[in-house]
Amino acid sequence: MSKEDYINNIIPHDSAFKHVDGSAEYTDDIIESDQTLFGAIGWSKKSHAIIKKIDLKNVRSSDGVISVLTHLDIPGRNDVGPVFDGDPIFAKKKVEFYGQPLFAVVATSTELARKAVLKARIEYKELKPIITIQDSLKKKKLHFKIRKIKKGNPSKKISKSKNHLKGNFTTGSQEHFYLEGQTAFAIPKEDNNLLVYSSTQHPSEAQQLIAKMLNQKSNSITVLVRRIGGGFGGKETNFMTAAICSLLAFKTKKPVKLRLDRDDDIILTGKRHEFYSEYEVGFDNQGLINGLKLKLASNCGMSPDLSYAINERALLHIDNAYHLSDIEIENHLCKTNISTSTAFRGFGGNQGMMSIENIIDNISRYLNKDPSEIRKLNFYKNNTKNITHYGMKIEDNVIDDIFEKLIKSSNYKKRYAEIKKFNKQNKFKKKGIAITPIKFGISFTTLHLNQAGALVHIYTDGSIYLNHGGIEMGQGTHTKIAQLVSHSLGLPFGKVKISSTNTSKVPNTSASAASSTTDLNGAAALNAVSKIKKNLEIFIKKKYRIFYNKEPIYKDEQIIFGNRNFNFFKIIKEAYLNRVSLSSTGFYKTPKIKFDKEKFLGRPFLYFCYGASVSEVTIDTLTGENTVDRVDILHDAGKPINPALEIGQIEGGFVQGQGWLTIEELKWKSNGQITTFSPSTYKIPAVSDMPRKFNVEIYKDGINKEKVVNKAKTTGEPPLMLAMSVFYAIKDAIASVDNYRKIPILDAPATPEKILMSIKNLSKKQKIYKN
Amino acid sequence: MSINKVQFLFNDKVFKLDNPDPNQTLLNFIRTKLKKTGTKEGCAEGGCGACTVVVGELDKDKILYKSINSCITFVPFLHGKQLLVVENLKNNDGSHHPVQEAMVKFHGSQCGFCTPGFVMSLFSMYKNHKTYSSDIIKDTISGNLCRCTGYRPIIDAAKSLNKIKNYDKFTKNKIKTINILKKINSKNLYIFNNNKKYFSPSTIIELKKIIKKNPNSQLLNGGTDLSLVVTKERKDINTIINLKDINELDFIKTNKNYIEVGSTTSLIKFENFILKYYPDFNSILKRYGSVQVRNVGSIGGNIATASPIGDTLPILLSLNAEIIIQNKNKKINIPIKKFFTGYRKTKLKKGEFIYSIKIPIYKKNILKAYKISKRFDDDISSICGSFNLEIINKKIKKIMIAYGGMAEIPKRAINCEKMLNNKALTLVNFENATKYIEKDFKPIDDMRATKDYRIEVAKNLLLKCFLEIKSNKLIRIN
Repeated sequence: MSKEDYINNIIPHDSAFKHVDGSAEYTDDIIESDQTLFGAIGWSKKSHAIIKKIDLKNVRSSDGVISVLTHLDIPGRNDVGPVFDGDPIFAKKKVEFYGQPLFAVVATSTELARKAVLKARIEYKELKPIITIQDSLKKKKLHFKIRKIKKGNPSKKISKSKNHLKGNFTTGSQEHFYLEGQTAFAIPKEDNNLLVYSSTQHPSEAQQLIAKMLNQKSNSITVLVRRIGGGFGGKETNFMTAAICSLLAFKTKKPVKLRLDRDDDIILTGKRHEFYSEYEVGFDNQGLINGLKLKLASNCGMSPDLSYAINERALLHIDNAYHLSDIEIENHLCKTNISTSTAFRGFGGNQGMMSIENIIDNISRYLNKDPSEIRKLNFYKNNTKNITHYGMKIEDNVIDDIFEKLIKSSNYKKRYAEIKKFNKQNKFKKKGIAITPIKFGISFTTLHLNQAGALVHIYTDGSIYLNHGGIEMGQGTHTKIAQLVSHSLGLPFGKVKISSTNTSKVPNTSASAASSTTDLNGAAALNAVSKIKKNLEIFIKKKYRIFYNKEPIYKDEQIIFGNRNFNFFKIIKEAYLNRVSLSSTGFYKTPKIKFDKEKFLGRPFLYFCYGASVSEVTIDTLTGENTVDRVDILHDAGKPINPALEIGQIEGGFVQGQGWLTIEELKWKSNGQITTFSPSTYKIPAVSDMPRKFNVEIYKDGINKEKVVNKAKTTGEPPLMLAMSVFYAIKDAIASVDNYRKIPILDAPATPEKILMSIKNLSKKQKIYKN
Repeated sequence: MSINKVQFLFNDKVFKLDNPDPNQTLLNFIRTKLKKTGTKEGCAEGGCGACTVVVGELDKDKILYKSINSCITFVPFLHGKQLLVVENLKNNDGSHHPVQEAMVKFHGSQCGFCTPGFVMSLFSMYKNHKTYSSDIIKDTISGNLCRCTGYRPIIDAAKSLNKIKNYDKFTKNKIKTINILKKINSKNLYIFNNNKKYFSPSTIIELKKIIKKNPNSQLLNGGTDLSLVVTKERKDINTIINLKDINELDFIKTNKNYIEVGSTTSLIKFENFILKYYPDFNSILKRYGSVQVRNVGSIGGNIATASPIGDTLPILLSLNAEIIIQNKNKKINIPIKKFFTGYRKTKLKKGEFIYSIKIPIYKKNILKAYKISKRFDDDISSICGSFNLEIINKKIKKIMIAYGGMAEIPKRAINCEKMLNNKALTLVNFENATKYIEKDFKPIDDMRATKDYRIEVAKNLLLKCFLEIKSNKLIRIN
């Protein structure tokens, strides 16, 4: 690829026509043979209890039941914890959350299996559950010892500051609500081997965990994923469905399908971490932060799962786009009796960023200044103030430029003034506006995960089959990687086929996560292609006696060596007949990154993604109802491979973030029973929630300074955080009720109820910060 | 004469199912028997739209294309209809339907799992409307959830349909289809499947006979709530009597003083009719649920389920509607305020059914109704308030106030009403009245709202009602 030769090609998702005509196949759509059986999971109705007795007699005798399995039927490891133990496949003696699997049924139909499950009689001895962060902190129930991070001398800086604020802040949990629930289909093969179709973001991990469960080697298990119906982190771990399905198939020697229905899916699987923070900040009269002390606690649920890494990403994003010279953080990973909290788009980064944005917003209100000014004042700078609290030098900072351009294009200043005027004239409708920045680090913070593999075949007719380790979950990674590969070979897009991700084709893959799927797997695919190209070039040069020192150009189905052109398809046939290898593996590992977790020091990220958004909202002060009236976004996607897909990620991520911060509210009873487990009680954004005006732009000057495919920047997770401006616009509208004299107390999600109660609190006795 | 075959048109062929399981959902049937897996299960409760299919129904010389949630529909529903699933839209030459083309062109799919449902909802819009305004588009897809796109590209795809000719293979085959539908539309479907029975009588006389013979049967009047017994509780419903084929129960009549609505009248039909009488009733009905739910859900069904959060109930209470109950021998009129006896309990006795609802027409009154929920589209009320005022010379001659979500039944606010009847229309009087909310209601905390919020909002809605009347403006953000 020559320097200026970037792909910038809008084409539809490679499965788009299959999506719209129903022929795109998901795991549950695979036509099963007549022998296939169907599973269902029986789970705990207590959140914390000793199991006294499991009576499954009536389950076994229920219509259509073939077999019923418990922990006693597991030949190997009874755990699907990916990094740490703690996620039993079936509980043995003790249950630790409402929804924990106890047994599984396999029957002749899904309906019969699900009916049978209900007939179990379980006796429990109840123990007192811990459900909330507060309870866990009080009882010191933590998964890991408290992690402390310190840079500079924040205590001193705070005490010397002219102004101080203290407070606390919570961001809520969130259910992934991928439209396709957890599903697996396991088919027994000879030698106790299993072929497992699984709706997972991480086939390699599923493969390894199933092998360990069965006490077999990884080479006896093959996991295949064609596509998944949304993941968002909810299918990065959560391996219980694939494991239980495999166990049922292994035991019955029959193909087994297992699909969680929506209720079970929400009850049994993990969600986003709720985060609670307490802060103390010192700042000058301009609003520049001098020192910050934070306590950051998260509800990790019953097991460690990925919580360590998620909290670490929160710590790494507590700065968002701001330079924090003196900072101290104490991180508590709370163990509670709810399903294990897990990965979710943003992976802790968003919770960290919300904490600092809340502080910045409060500083602005305290000083009675436009929050956009305080934000700008605290931004990282280009030559000074460019070292993060974990010691990484920021070399690709474009936040100032993005912020300025967006303030202009969105007409922020004028609207800010107009809104103040509107609010003076209206009592029951109040408007609010906010602009927030994002800076999000790209790479897995666990070093070894930053690698990828690919396998490329060119068949004799010139068609190409490509496998890589990434999962197609809607983000269009297959489309973009096929674009990269076809561009690299000078072929039209349709010549490259990418199909199922398959552990027997590309081994030891990382999860499709951390926004890195296309960066890593695309580079691996190009590496494979470059090896085949090398073979072809050697062959051509030798056969056609070409002396040409530069790289040949692949364009319009031609391979061009200066003034000599060769038709790609003809050359492929010739190469085959001349016994040239037309297949290759590829590999990639992210350069430059290195991070010392103990010292919390180093370069955990290859690069940063930047963006900003302006939101304008209206609230009804009598009911707390609200509308998002206008959103303007400017987002850095580097040199995007396929701008249409990036816009899709930006808009979709934004609305998902908006849901997290506004209407999506999970609730548990004090006994640990979740009460929001279906679309009738848990509300993700619907069509009317979309911003009424939605202006989304990709930052035209964007370029990735690092060596990343196409010089693009990923748009996987970062856009979710753009939705922060909706929350702070709501807070701005609330503040207007009392003519901006007090700092509203508002936690996320800002439901109509929270908004109304926050308005009500304004009239209560509370410190008035300004005259 | 009766028939025990479910007959329907699918893929240009008439299917005949001999005594099928009347508890099998249409979604399950489509996926496992028809082996068409384009239609997806997202929630099995009609809350996400992934399972949306369209049924073609004969309406005189027209075909109405109704989108429905196949996950909460039982197979016998298909009888006499045309079933259209996402795989049916492609043309014979392999080209895609205009709706499908538009969804691809505007990048309306990402993970693709919700897409077939969106395509079918948009397809029904394409068939039933001539132009597609923003309001029509939003209403069409308000019951389809997408977790990937944020909806903008789907809306753009729908808008683009305005620019193309409204003609597809279904228009072309219209006459042929109508002729087939006329042939398979025989009445009185009776199904006997092992211990399960399903009756779909076509007259009230026949219905009474069946009820008499099957006293423990369950009446089906849309079924968007009843079906959850099967899909969520995983129980069988052994005997079902479907009311929806009885033409005598599907009517809207008016005279000078009242509107009478037959029990099986669909919510969507009723909402269009009520607009000119009570605009707020119409806007609440539009938010009652998705188009898929309102297409099959009925006014009688909503009343008989007696949910404390049923959205029509507070409005009917404040309008002092009457329920006309049909028993063995006669019709009995009961004022709706006496109809609800406890949590999901009514005055309906075994063997009785709702014949109709009589809604008074108050020519001079003002009706204000508000629904408060976390989400605007397709959500269940935290609180629903309805206020019916007769105002003469700035004085409240009579006010009727009712709330949903504030008690175990939808209920009138009797004490608030007392405080306002015959009082001047002033803020002070309304503020005073709000103090009686807590006397009238003892709401509970649940996953939708706390009791504090419910009380606060109930009070504020009363004030909002006053403020709107006083200023003669709507103070609403939606």
